[in-house]
Amino acid sequence: MAEFDAIVVGSGMSGGWSAKELTERGLKVLVLERGPEIIPERDYTDRIPPWERPNLDRISQDEIEEHYPKQYGGVAYAIKETTKHFWVKDSEHPYEEAEGTSYDWLRGYHTGGRSIMWSRQAYRLGPQDFEANEQENVGVDWPIRYDDIAPWYDHVERFAGISGSVEGLPQLPDGVFQPAFALTCGEEDFKARVEASFPGRSVIPARVAHITAATDEQKELGRSNCRVRDRCEHGCVYRAYFSSLNATLPAAERTGNLTMVHNAIVQSIDYDPGTARVTGVRVIDAETRERRTYTGRVVFLNASTIASAMILLQSTSEAFPGGLANRSDQIGRNLMDHVSGVGVSGFMSGHEDKTTFGRRPGGIYIPRYANITEHDKPYRRGFGFQGSVRPVNGPSGQTPGIGRAFKESHRAPGPWRVGLEAFGEQLPDPNNRVTLHPSARDQWGNPLAVFNVTYGDNERVMLQEARKDAIAMLEAAGCTDIRAAGLELTKPGNRIHEMGGARMGRDPATSVLNGWCQAHDIENLFVTDGSFMASAACQNPSLTYMAFSARAANYAADLMAEGAL
Amino acid sequence: MTITRRDAIKTLVISVGGSSLLSACGGQVSLEALAPTPVPRFYSEHEMAVLSRVSDLLLPRTETPGALDSGVPGLLDRLMAEWANVETQADHRAALTGLTSRLETLTGGDFLGASDQVARQSLTDVDDAEFSGDQLDGYRELKGLITEVYFATEAGADERGWDPAPGRWDPCVDRS
Repeated sequence: MAEFDAIVVGSGMSGGWSAKELTERGLKVLVLERGPEIIPERDYTDRIPPWERPNLDRISQDEIEEHYPKQYGGVAYAIKETTKHFWVKDSEHPYEEAEGTSYDWLRGYHTGGRSIMWSRQAYRLGPQDFEANEQENVGVDWPIRYDDIAPWYDHVERFAGISGSVEGLPQLPDGVFQPAFALTCGEEDFKARVEASFPGRSVIPARVAHITAATDEQKELGRSNCRVRDRCEHGCVYRAYFSSLNATLPAAERTGNLTMVHNAIVQSIDYDPGTARVTGVRVIDAETRERRTYTGRVVFLNASTIASAMILLQSTSEAFPGGLANRSDQIGRNLMDHVSGVGVSGFMSGHEDKTTFGRRPGGIYIPRYANITEHDKPYRRGFGFQGSVRPVNGPSGQTPGIGRAFKESHRAPGPWRVGLEAFGEQLPDPNNRVTLHPSARDQWGNPLAVFNVTYGDNERVMLQEARKDAIAMLEAAGCTDIRAAGLELTKPGNRIHEMGGARMGRDPATSVLNGWCQAHDIENLFVTDGSFMASAACQNPSLTYMAFSARAANYAADLMAEGAL
Repeated sequence: MTITRRDAIKTLVISVGGSSLLSACGGQVSLEALAPTPVPRFYSEHEMAVLSRVSDLLLPRTETPGALDSGVPGLLDRLMAEWANVETQADHRAALTGLTSRLETLTGGDFLGASDQVARQSLTDVDDAEFSGDQLDGYRELKGLITEVYFATEAGADERGWDPAPGRWDPCVDRS
């Protein structure tokens, strides 16, 4: 008899949801986290004021070179002396890249995973995103449509707390929102001018996973409204932004049905050919190197897109010599991210007598319009823009003067600056993949990941056009001193939106999972992290992982209740 | 009033040690500002003296604490000793050396011994030239670093009106 009803591998964005939903259905759940425990009271650093952070909160340059070359190179804005414990050391977690390619695998191993460090932008996919593959004959068709997942978006938004505005845009459906962080006067102005010049485009407040009107359920979990401090990358003692550590794991914990084990690195999943089911997982303790096997009636893989693919590829047997549930040879393929590289900025006049108060966690969002309200584009799919219009005045040596006048010039808010960055959809390509290194192993004996991911012509052309569009919008808004660096695409992986790797589809011959995130070949194996994504859309994907995880967990619980699992 | 090299070095020791100035100005100096040891770890005593005078001229005590009150030279010394790698240290030292040389030239060979007025004019000349196209290698980076360190102190944060916990978002308020 299995020790647990369900084993959830990974405690991050999606694993927290799997754990919450399964435990709330009365199932005994084991969550395995490969990293150490994060205790908010001890490990969040958001209460340390800037003047108590040593050396401008900079990690020493020698330490970066030795331990964080990839992580720091990818997200220097987030990795500080007081936040580095949320990021892996590259020196301890190496990986390889195929010749001529480069990949940013940016991550943290600890309770909550990257849900602690995410940028908290939370958007629904729209109907078009589930239909495009079929219409364009790209990749495989999603086995479900927007209407199938819409109620689950409602479900996760209500619990997580998403601040946003109701806009009525079909391509970016509205949800269960708490009050949005209102647009600045510069943004209202920018919105009016852009929407007048480009009738198919909208400028809306960013939708972010921050509580602005805490519900009773959120208060019961110790969560409260965002204090608008802009300390999110340090954790949040108010639990105001959504993370599994702030929300789903405490909800799972209070059911009394959760067992959480840290430092448990899953090496493989056991498969019983007699029943055609998985029976448990094998782990190695990250610290003691002790090996253990846990048994469960159902396994949910939520280790993250890359890690879940690797665990499946490592789980070989006579029945699955190429990796568990990999009859389609699609595991590890079709890796996707979002692509950026369009940094456009300028200055707006007309609001010199105004400023803002508080440091809000989001800015503006310009939902996708390409191939939705505007057609005849020289590329497929599209992109959304994130940005802001706000006064900027940071301490800098770039302004002239010395003495009193120079010192006091920093008191005044600076000029209103507009900044936009595109997030474009990457098309699925089976050649973009992660594989297991044939010989190199990490310190726990697990194969190193080898990435071979590149962008195609569609991404390059799309971003070139996005850059032109951004410049045109700033010109239409009357901006001055418009600056747009030459197009330099972000490295694959850099947006930290890893998707694909175990895509869902209708045909077991060409996809790994069915529409319930359930392995075609193994009915008690579910994968509900970013792996299931059959296409990337252009919206930040975490909210979608949450919704699919909740839906899959309740489906599994239904099957178990019926005795079918 | 002119200050001698010895006085300048005395100033630097006070600015690094911090506590004397803390009581002298009645302002608040952060724990981090007090943390550096009185003996420079990265700078030579002469470099420290120049850096202290430049920091003071750039961000002087007014109605609010200045760079020396806030221990900026000591914080920079710690930054260079603990954060910077060998290459950055060399670049930083070269920038400081280049600035020192220019200031010496502008003050008749004695920047540290020059009167406040003469010293202030020399740095003003360097800064004016910088932003008129006659750039001095590394000056902006050095000025930027001094400025960033100052505004990261508690006094600097107060100077900018930085609120640790705003508690609310107001997207459009009058500047006052």
